[in-house]
Amino acid sequence: MSSRGFLLATYAPGSSLIHRAPLWLKFLLVVGCGMASFLIADWAISAVVLALLCGLFLLSGAGPARLFRAVRPVLPVLLAIGLFQWWQLGAPTAARIVLNVLICVVAASILTATTPVQALLDGVASLARPFRRLGADPERFALTIAIMLRSIPFVAGAYSDVRDSARARGLERNLRALVLPVFITTVAYARQTGEALAARGLGEPEDAEGQ
Amino acid sequence: MSGIVLDRVSVRVPVDGSPAPKTLLQMVSLSLTERRIGVIGANGSGKSTLLRLLNGLVAPSDGSVMVHGADTARAVREVRRRVGFVFTDPLSQLVMPTGREDVELSLRRSIRNAAERRAHAEAVLDRFGLLPLADQSIYELSGGERQLLALAAVLAVDPEVLVLDEPSTLLDLRNRELLRRTLAGLRQQVILSTHDLELAMDMDRVLVVDAGQVVFDGGPAAAVAHYRQLSPASLPTAGINLGRPADELAGDGLARARQDRLDKR
Amino acid sequence: MTQTAPPATARTPRRRNRWNATDLGLIAVFAALIAGSALIAAIPVGGLGVPITLQTLAVMLTGLALGAGRAFAAVGLYLLLGFAGLPIFSGGRSGLGVLAGPSAGYILGFLLAATTVGWLTVVVLRRTATRTGRLRPILLFAAAMVSSIVFVHGLGVLGMMVNARLDFSKAFLADLAFYPGDIIKNILAVSIVLALHRAFPDLLLRRVRTVDARP
Repeated sequence: MSSRGFLLATYAPGSSLIHRAPLWLKFLLVVGCGMASFLIADWAISAVVLALLCGLFLLSGAGPARLFRAVRPVLPVLLAIGLFQWWQLGAPTAARIVLNVLICVVAASILTATTPVQALLDGVASLARPFRRLGADPERFALTIAIMLRSIPFVAGAYSDVRDSARARGLERNLRALVLPVFITTVAYARQTGEALAARGLGEPEDAEGQ
Repeated sequence: MSGIVLDRVSVRVPVDGSPAPKTLLQMVSLSLTERRIGVIGANGSGKSTLLRLLNGLVAPSDGSVMVHGADTARAVREVRRRVGFVFTDPLSQLVMPTGREDVELSLRRSIRNAAERRAHAEAVLDRFGLLPLADQSIYELSGGERQLLALAAVLAVDPEVLVLDEPSTLLDLRNRELLRRTLAGLRQQVILSTHDLELAMDMDRVLVVDAGQVVFDGGPAAAVAHYRQLSPASLPTAGINLGRPADELAGDGLARARQDRLDKR
Repeated sequence: MTQTAPPATARTPRRRNRWNATDLGLIAVFAALIAGSALIAAIPVGGLGVPITLQTLAVMLTGLALGAGRAFAAVGLYLLLGFAGLPIFSGGRSGLGVLAGPSAGYILGFLLAATTVGWLTVVVLRRTATRTGRLRPILLFAAAMVSSIVFVHGLGVLGMMVNARLDFSKAFLADLAFYPGDIIKNILAVSIVLALHRAFPDLLLRRVRTVDARP
């Protein structure tokens, strides 16, 4: 799998101020940036916020390479959107839209680069605890989220693997030949993951016991 | 009651477009008490199904499987706590991006306190010499390191029985040797399937499975001899007649190999 | 008691919502599939720059492959994490802010469309269980089209009217640009899902059958 750290920077162990910051604060930062990126109307402010976030990321000691790995996959899409919006709505608006997306990506990366997955799981499980009364199972919910996060790089990898093998067989113009294998491998992978969880006694409903 | 007891176990799966189900295992009765047990047999003979029965991944269609007195069809949780399962491909088993996180995931159910969990995970990784690699992406580890990590994640919860499905198939010679030594040093009962006859020779008892039945049960040397004389009998006499241009077949073979892999999963 | 039936044996789903580990795996991975498809090869179309991606394909496929309950969970999980700040909406956007943007209707439409098409898929699979031929793909395509027209396009137009202050005819015209792509994607989705159900009969097909077999 070539695309590790796709979209979300991988965890970098460390003890910086950001590593030690409480989880809720980092989570609030991510949610806040999601909102702010919509509220900011001036591209210059977006640029300043983005620069601040990048500074914050580097302060954690996770390194620029890790950040770049997370941002790289969205760059082609951003370029396309940016050019299109430039043509449609002018440079300032295009810049604002592109910068706001980058704000979201970097903010989420600050969270994932400085928080071990287990801590994230604990956080999600405790957030979901109030819903237990409605029949929710916080542990299984948190586990499902962890599996989803882990699977995004797998899906991205499947797309690129399949593109390569379709090219090798001269099928790159056949959309079905391009997409079907992605879904087949993905379903196979999902069931494999489920079986691996079951074998380890994880993820089964509480009352699976039949005694 | 100690050990694992299979009592007249059959496993059948439905076949689409046919009213008759396919039989994967037929009336198998076994009592598994030896410390090291190997299962050998051809692809599709029912080896995997036999192993999967042992921790409830496959439920018997008839008969029962008891692990230390617990029925795998009913006390699934209990059985899975006692029986650790290691898959052939460690990547299908490791669900977290790094070794540390995966071992901690194993421990989530048994240790609630995060700091304790962390300390225990480090101890487990250290025991397997994996602590320096704890925070590396599992994709950046070598095949042998990954297999070792999968083993560590399963052993972290200290099961009483360890089941391994073809653990050495994806390993090179050096890592095979490492695996053999690691297995030899475990206190757990080990039950594994393998195509690696050398590994089979390390066992105390070896079962030969063919067409859903245990056709031989005894010491490793005799079992391997039995398996060797069994294998050529089922091959077509003249090999496989291709009858088509080779380049056309190359692509076909790939597709089939891939399908086989999926089927197995 | 819910038997933890492995894929190899006939499963006995007494209550559909007691998902086992395999179901959790499918929900999580399909949510990831939607996220991944939203980010790969996006082409902005139309005056508002709502990008075309394989995302709608992945959303409809989730419904067609998993049925209503698990599809709802998968798309719901995707939306939840997107709203929470994970940059997984098309073009790498995230956060509750998208609910105020022009594509808000589409994003919410996904959840309803996937659930509806999942529900319709089970109905179609059950009704066409004994029949072979073209009926099943045609009905599945119809189910996908109806779900996407009513929910994705319906809510999509509504979203553009509310958030971008377009009048109905302008929003309708803007939305029209997505129809050709959607028709192609739905045809593709049905052809893929038929292959998926052939490759993995216990994904949904066998469930439908075992439920029917019971009195």
